[in-house]
Amino acid sequence: MADWQIDLIKVVFIWVWALLIAVVMTWVERRASAMMQDRLGPNRAGPFGLLQPLADGIKLFTKEDIIPERARKILFILGPPLFALPAFSAYAVVPFGDKIVLGGKEIILQVSDVNIGFLYVLALGAIGVYGMVIGGWASNSKYSILGGLRATAQLISYEVPMGLALLTIVLLYGTFSLREIVLQQQGTFLGFLPNWGFFKQPLGFIIFMVAAYAEANRVPFDLPECESELVTGYHTEYGSMRLGLYLFGEYVNMGTLAAITVSLFFGGWGLPYVDMSRFLGPVSYGIASFFVFFLKQAFFLFLFVWVRWTVPRFRYDQLMGLGWKALIPLGLINLFITALLVQLTT
Amino acid sequence: MAKQLETICITTGPVEVGDYVTLNIGPIHPAMHGTLRVITKTDGETIVSAKPEIGYLHRGVEKLGENLTYSQFLPITDRLNYCSAICNNVAYEMAVEKLLGLQVPPKAQLIRMIMMELARIADHQVCVGILGVDLGALTPFFYLIIQREEIYEIFEWHHGARLTNSMGAIGGVEADLPERFHEKWPKLRDTIRKANDETDKLLTHNRIWMDRTIGVNAFCADDALNWGFTGPMLRACGVKRDLRKEEPYLMYDEVNFEIPTGKHGDVFDRYMVRMLEMEESVKIIDQAYALYKELPEDAPLMKKVPKIIKPPEGQIYHAIESPNGELGFFIKSDGSDKPYRIKIRPPCYMVYQAFEDLVKGEMISDLIACLSSLNVIAGELDR
Amino acid sequence: MVRRPVVKKEYTLGERVYLVEIGKGLGLTWKHFVYNVKASFRKGPHTVPTCWQYPEDRREIAPIFRGAHMLQLNEKGQELCVGCGMCARACPAKCITVKRGKPAEGEEDKYAGKTMCASFEIDMLRCIFCGNCEKACPKNAIVLGQDYELAEYDPNLCIYDKKRLLANFHRAKAEGRLKPPRKPVPVDAPAPKKKTPSKATMTKKKGESGDSEKA
Repeated sequence: MADWQIDLIKVVFIWVWALLIAVVMTWVERRASAMMQDRLGPNRAGPFGLLQPLADGIKLFTKEDIIPERARKILFILGPPLFALPAFSAYAVVPFGDKIVLGGKEIILQVSDVNIGFLYVLALGAIGVYGMVIGGWASNSKYSILGGLRATAQLISYEVPMGLALLTIVLLYGTFSLREIVLQQQGTFLGFLPNWGFFKQPLGFIIFMVAAYAEANRVPFDLPECESELVTGYHTEYGSMRLGLYLFGEYVNMGTLAAITVSLFFGGWGLPYVDMSRFLGPVSYGIASFFVFFLKQAFFLFLFVWVRWTVPRFRYDQLMGLGWKALIPLGLINLFITALLVQLTT
Repeated sequence: MAKQLETICITTGPVEVGDYVTLNIGPIHPAMHGTLRVITKTDGETIVSAKPEIGYLHRGVEKLGENLTYSQFLPITDRLNYCSAICNNVAYEMAVEKLLGLQVPPKAQLIRMIMMELARIADHQVCVGILGVDLGALTPFFYLIIQREEIYEIFEWHHGARLTNSMGAIGGVEADLPERFHEKWPKLRDTIRKANDETDKLLTHNRIWMDRTIGVNAFCADDALNWGFTGPMLRACGVKRDLRKEEPYLMYDEVNFEIPTGKHGDVFDRYMVRMLEMEESVKIIDQAYALYKELPEDAPLMKKVPKIIKPPEGQIYHAIESPNGELGFFIKSDGSDKPYRIKIRPPCYMVYQAFEDLVKGEMISDLIACLSSLNVIAGELDR
Repeated sequence: MVRRPVVKKEYTLGERVYLVEIGKGLGLTWKHFVYNVKASFRKGPHTVPTCWQYPEDRREIAPIFRGAHMLQLNEKGQELCVGCGMCARACPAKCITVKRGKPAEGEEDKYAGKTMCASFEIDMLRCIFCGNCEKACPKNAIVLGQDYELAEYDPNLCIYDKKRLLANFHRAKAEGRLKPPRKPVPVDAPAPKKKTPSKATMTKKKGESGDSEKA
């Protein structure tokens, strides 16, 4: 197989994989929340209600597409894809496994190992905001505008602590490539701890997680779309599949963020204390590393759901306060200490 | 009169100048309880003015009262505060009994008390749960609502309906405590407490919750009195007034219970007062149940009343402590079988009047939190 | 401008750092999650204790539940209703219309009383299920049963006629869901009787029924 064919297969695979995760996540969200709230959740469509996302999708596709009379038509149409696409694209640099040997060819399980993968992720995360802002602005509704404005302010504020948390990782590993970072996290450190970013940067991890929840618009940071105040915020006026894209984009976004968390702080595809490549064949090793990565990602996806159904929501000013008054100073201190330690140890 | 706690009050808030965005919240809005409408002017997220508009659920209940006989009006009272219909029923029945000069037999009084306290727990559970939902925490709502279902089951086995209870009749109650109550109560009291504990665990000490509620639309005690606040709203402001203690009716003077009070009258205090009141209600039911057990099994449940009730001419006002506050019925009789005039004093109405003062200068999110914590029931407000 | 009390926020350290209390909350939801996941693998439709899978799995309805009405028959299969119209008078929603009639020749043993209801209609769209008709009925003929699924595609079908009310009774009897006979309520000493001229009450009643017809 030529290289471009392999790349194409990888792209299609990761695309389908991201979609599948998002689809299943809508089901997990509903079932898990039901279980946490002593309910049952959707359990009629298919076994355990697994076909429920399909039913939802069909419903959304077949609904009438309404564009409000005085909405900005082009921007209104542009909003949802602009929100969903960057989330998909960010998957491109995620190393979802080590490598697999197929037909004597060694294939890296990553769409492209960009040497500035890091910045790429941050940049795409920032573009996603435009989808919300434009959608909110174009709908010609006060609730939507408020949602869009909140989204802008929130995402801009939380990009900063996220960047600060990620910078410490860059300092620690000396590279921008996600693959390199994962490779450096294998093995142990101090003799007994896995060599994970989480153990080296616990504060950085917490800051990153909080910022990630804000980026993904999840409770407790779901201010742009909080249903009790702003109806549903920036997508109040949307219906049919345009709304579907927004909702879908949120889950894809969650998947991306979970994948990045795993690769930066939890050793990517590696298992702690065990080197899988030693006792597994080249093909089975590739598959195993992929599943290890997936399990870790699944845990963080579940955490998104779990936290959502446990905590209440912030208020707008408190959210800003948390971002600017707590996370950014903490991030700076963390960055300073890390820089000092890196300087002293090397 | 009630003792007041001293809190320092200062005058703050925005001054209304210039143009602001008018944001119309309701009557169709996910956080508006029933069909309420608030026309707000906002400066960014801050509310400069909020004008509540009422009447979307006006059904002419008071006028209906003039056209229905005394016993026909009883089911209509269910539709006032539908979260605790029993309290409305009992308040109305007691007002008519007062007009007739009847003293209800003790067993009926105890059954009424038990049922009313159950209704109070159910009402507070809904209020606290919805407050959580509006602030983004959906889970406690389900823990509480499950217990409410159990309470409703007792209602169903006692008088045959779950929500629109129409309990009892003028002159007493028509059924003894059902077998379900005797079976269920020992377990139910624990599960109610457990659900409250879980809600407490999820919310009370969570900083996000505390930030959202502490100091949010705090209200001064004297202002609250001037506006005519009653019930948990007033107690949250620090005024220890509860009609069950101040003007005991039924057999409330024979049971021991505390009146929980707050300090600042903010959303957190209202929430805490309601949580603690549920606990007190459980205690009251326990004591009333013990008193009930002392009575013989065939003790009378009703006073003999004529089939067509014709109270003597006169007028009467009787108020009880409903979950939301003082629920009063004014009845004027001209000696016929229909009341000449019925006036209902709903607790929500007095509280909702002060809505603008409550939310001025706060943010849009606080308006939602405030409305949930007031527990404004449109059925009672608009009548 | 509004007056507001000064509120000091006093947080403990644990509350201040968010994560401790959120962690406790997560523990609580996790406990529920595990319990319910285990419970949902139980056999039968009623798995999670608080969740009723409605059409297959129904709650137990109280025998005294106030649902759809029925017209009762006695043990001999005779109609109890005598068409007196007390229920119509007691109804606060004015949804009952009764016409009194005499049983046809040779059909007297179908009815328990000397008279019967020629027609009996309940407008279920108006009914508020208060149970006043049941309380007012001197013959215990009309009772509210346990049926609660009353939706119809055609509003005209929501006006229950006598046939339907009797059918309700037959179905309830076949399913053993008849309402238990009302227990007499223990009544305290009789209230002081007031004598009202019977003529006055008669005229009042006439006026009242006139009102209800108009409505």
